Amino acid sequence: MTFDEAVKKSIKQFMAGKLLTETAKLKEDGIFYSPEFFDDLEEELLNEDPDIEVEKELEDED
Amino acid sequence: MKIDAPIPGANYLADTRNYAWHRPPDIMDYDEAVGYMIDHIDEPEKKELIFAMLGIDAHITTIVTTLLLQVVSRGKIGIDLAILIAGPLARYIEIAAKDVGIDYELGIENKDRVAITPTLLKLSLGMALDVDEEDVQNAVQDTVQEAATESLMGMPTEQAGVASAEEQSAMLGGMTEEEPEDEL
Repeated sequence: MTFDEAVKKSIKQFMAGKLLTETAKLKEDGIFYSPEFFDDLEEELLNEDPDIEVEKELEDED
Repeated sequence: MKIDAPIPGANYLADTRNYAWHRPPDIMDYDEAVGYMIDHIDEPEKKELIFAMLGIDAHITTIVTTLLLQVVSRGKIGIDLAILIAGPLARYIEIAAKDVGIDYELGIENKDRVAITPTLLKLSLGMALDVDEEDVQNAVQDTVQEAATESLMGMPTEQAGVASAEEQSAMLGGMTEEEPEDEL
């Protein structure tokens, strides 16, 4: 298996929601960059209203 | 017997500090590695490059492979950890592409699978297509007959028959068999 194929396989597994269980065992608090983290990040980024952000920034400046 | 292998003990003589990946990597923690790569991607120059690559229809897997090879060659992350963090990186680039509104392709889709089309679905369900079977049979017979009579190597028709001896002689350039002369 080449590096490209390994990377492709790793991405496929992550996208399918398979967790790094053995790696997670090494840490007490678990993995920070989990699939859930990225789901939350996506929701946060894609649902934010740019107008509200600008208004907030203007309020902070005042 | 000649063996294509290093001389025993060569590893004790070689300078293993020549390349970055010969030394222990700088980052060995999963979260630290992902965080480092996310910061690396967020640099304006890197982001421009990634979006430009997506613009020329490069797959996200190709971009991730390129980025990981760079950090592995610099000795920042080990090759095993690089493979482990490929998924989160691809996901992060996917989110960034969605955020900016760039079309992307992950590159993990199976291209060998047969695409499901309406015709394939009809055939698999045993549903008759809108073509009359008699028409198909007639068309096939006509094609077979034409192929048999009109082609160069086709079977001769009854009307054409076999050419006469004179006709064959004319086709061969009017040559007739000559009797061998006596050699003396």
